[in-house]
Amino acid sequence: MSKKIFAVIKREYWTRAKTKGFIIGTLIFPLFLVLIFGGIFIVQKVFTPSTRTYYIVDNSNQIYSKFSTQLTDTLKSGELKFKFFEKKVEPQLMESTIKQFQEEVRNKQIYGYLVIPEDIVESKEVKYAAQSVSDFEEQRSLQWALSKVVSDIRLEKMGLDANKIRHEMWLGNIKLISNQITEKGEIEKSGTSSFLLTYILAYVMFLMMMIYGTMVMRSVIEEKSQRITEMIVSAIKPFELMFGKIVGICALGITQLTIFGIMLFFIVKYGEPIMIKLGATDTEFLNIIKHINFTVPIFLFFIFYFVIGFVFFSALYASIGAIVNTEDEGQQFMPPLVIILLLSYFIMFAAVKNPDTTMAFWASLIPFFTPLVMFGRVAVSDPALPSGAILSIFTMILSTILIIWLASKIYRVGILMCGKKVSLKEAVKWIKYK
Amino acid sequence: MKVLETNKIIKKFGDFTAVNEISFSIEEGKIFGLLGPNGAGKTTTIRMIMDIIAPDSGSISIMGKPHNGMATDNIGYLPEERGMYRKMKVREVLIFLAALKSMKKKDADKEIDYWLKKINLTDWKNKKIEELSKGMQQKIQFIGTVLHKPKLLILDEPFGGLDPINQNLIKDLMVELKEKGTTIIFSTHVMESAEKLCDEIFLINKGIEIIYGNLSDVKKSYGKENILIEFDGDDSFLKKSDQIKKFNNYGKYAEAQLIKNADTQLILREAMKTCKIRKFEINEPSLHDIFIESVGEANTEGELE
Repeated sequence: MSKKIFAVIKREYWTRAKTKGFIIGTLIFPLFLVLIFGGIFIVQKVFTPSTRTYYIVDNSNQIYSKFSTQLTDTLKSGELKFKFFEKKVEPQLMESTIKQFQEEVRNKQIYGYLVIPEDIVESKEVKYAAQSVSDFEEQRSLQWALSKVVSDIRLEKMGLDANKIRHEMWLGNIKLISNQITEKGEIEKSGTSSFLLTYILAYVMFLMMMIYGTMVMRSVIEEKSQRITEMIVSAIKPFELMFGKIVGICALGITQLTIFGIMLFFIVKYGEPIMIKLGATDTEFLNIIKHINFTVPIFLFFIFYFVIGFVFFSALYASIGAIVNTEDEGQQFMPPLVIILLLSYFIMFAAVKNPDTTMAFWASLIPFFTPLVMFGRVAVSDPALPSGAILSIFTMILSTILIIWLASKIYRVGILMCGKKVSLKEAVKWIKYK
Repeated sequence: MKVLETNKIIKKFGDFTAVNEISFSIEEGKIFGLLGPNGAGKTTTIRMIMDIIAPDSGSISIMGKPHNGMATDNIGYLPEERGMYRKMKVREVLIFLAALKSMKKKDADKEIDYWLKKINLTDWKNKKIEELSKGMQQKIQFIGTVLHKPKLLILDEPFGGLDPINQNLIKDLMVELKEKGTTIIFSTHVMESAEKLCDEIFLINKGIEIIYGNLSDVKKSYGKENILIEFDGDDSFLKKSDQIKKFNNYGKYAEAQLIKNADTQLILREAMKTCKIRKFEINEPSLHDIFIESVGEANTEGELE
């Protein structure tokens, strides 16, 4: 290894880091996050519903008085969310009255109406008609209030104190605190957020390996098609050139990941207070990222599997670059690699749900799948290590060395074959060259 | 001192022998012409010198020492197929090329300024390569080759794709470097420029040495002289003379190829008997003729095989 490798690493890194594409790409991810959360915030602020007016036809004559006092939710403006007006309707006038209600809904004078049947306590069915029936939250509120009134009536009929029973039932609510059993003992952990984090990180790893791997291939093709290679390899060994390329582009990937990580950290830490200062009352949507516990070991495993996986795949990308002459030709060789990466992403999904199955164990030891699958298993098992985790580090390092060795043999011959179409069979023959 | 010495180097690609037992040595400060038709084995030979590929057998020594990777730091190589990173700036590319030759950035910057001034491209220092014309790019490549003050310079078709003005500029730079003691391997298939520049030539065809030696010695030993005669009168002397091997008669003008060690004065005397001589010129064979003669024969043989 010579100092010259650093010149290659520096060139590969800086010529890309300074491009508009890289800078925009780096900023787009956090911008995307800000847009999503900012978007939710704005939508909530702008599309606050106004007070909704309902007509209630209470044929049972025992619901309305209790029902109308149940829903006292207010809007941000302080006004009531629901306004109810009782409408007494003679049975024979029902049809025409309903038509009149419909007209009022169409004219936006009221939002909707409810028809409570005479035998509500037995039939337990209420007709709800409104301008739009897609607001489930609102329907759930109405349903809850009606159910409460009806069950109160039923309980009282039995001579029971509904309020007392309700209070007792509330006191009897049980909360389940999920714990994960690990070698170090039991750890309190929320199930959903660790899955979510694993999926997101594995997806980022998948994308980065594909995008940055292609970058390595492009870099090789540029030198080939622009006839630069011969000048470079007269000063530096082809292996060193390939190695410098992979390291330089990998460093660029780590740079981007680090920037993402820092930005994510700030969004998680300061996102909520800033939103509240801006006047957000409902910050529930921030809970998803708030509950993610991004531990140092997970980060280190992520970087390890990203780096080793990237080196593994980019060696393959580099040899593709050496075989072909143009980027178009290179595209033809891409599907197998993309399929392998996609496949490992799907296997990761299955392995994350059941990290201790035999299938998950073996899949995570196949070098092509190790980075994503083993990382997924490590992340969900954290802080314990899944079976084969340490073994996978060794198998991955060994197979990466093997792949680099094979790729460098193809690379060495391929980069000097300008303008010649080479079959895969021929390329394999190069491995045997002295 | 021998700057470069190759000893019976052989390189095969599968069944094809690209270079077959090539041996030559180059003295310091000389321009050495590595000549031959396309596909003769020139580039393969150079690639072995540059340690890009290893010979199957034989040895190469540089500055008297056996070849190792670092020796290439003392060599500048301008390949025939050459290009640049299009998106990089002129200075960045040159700094990168210098770093690949183990040159420090500070020293490289000084040399870059010196050379850019010399070829009048100072204003283009911070422009991207893709903004430069083809000719400018070629000149930048030349700078990239000589930046690190190599003891040995290998130029493969350095004039290819250049206009006459820039060809002249590169030629002047070659001569200047030679005067400063740089040894140059000049690889080309254009014999006219080789003839003017080379001290020694090595003619290779199909991987085999055809001619090797000092240019004037080669010409002498080649033993072929030509005469040009302008005359009025009977041209029968052309046929009669046993000194003439072949001739091309235009009626009042003839070109004749003579036998080895021919007596040119005898031809002149015989011609004077029958005609009035207006011009009689003795020509040494040109490198071009030698090339066509020796390579042409070998290649027609090859085609007949």
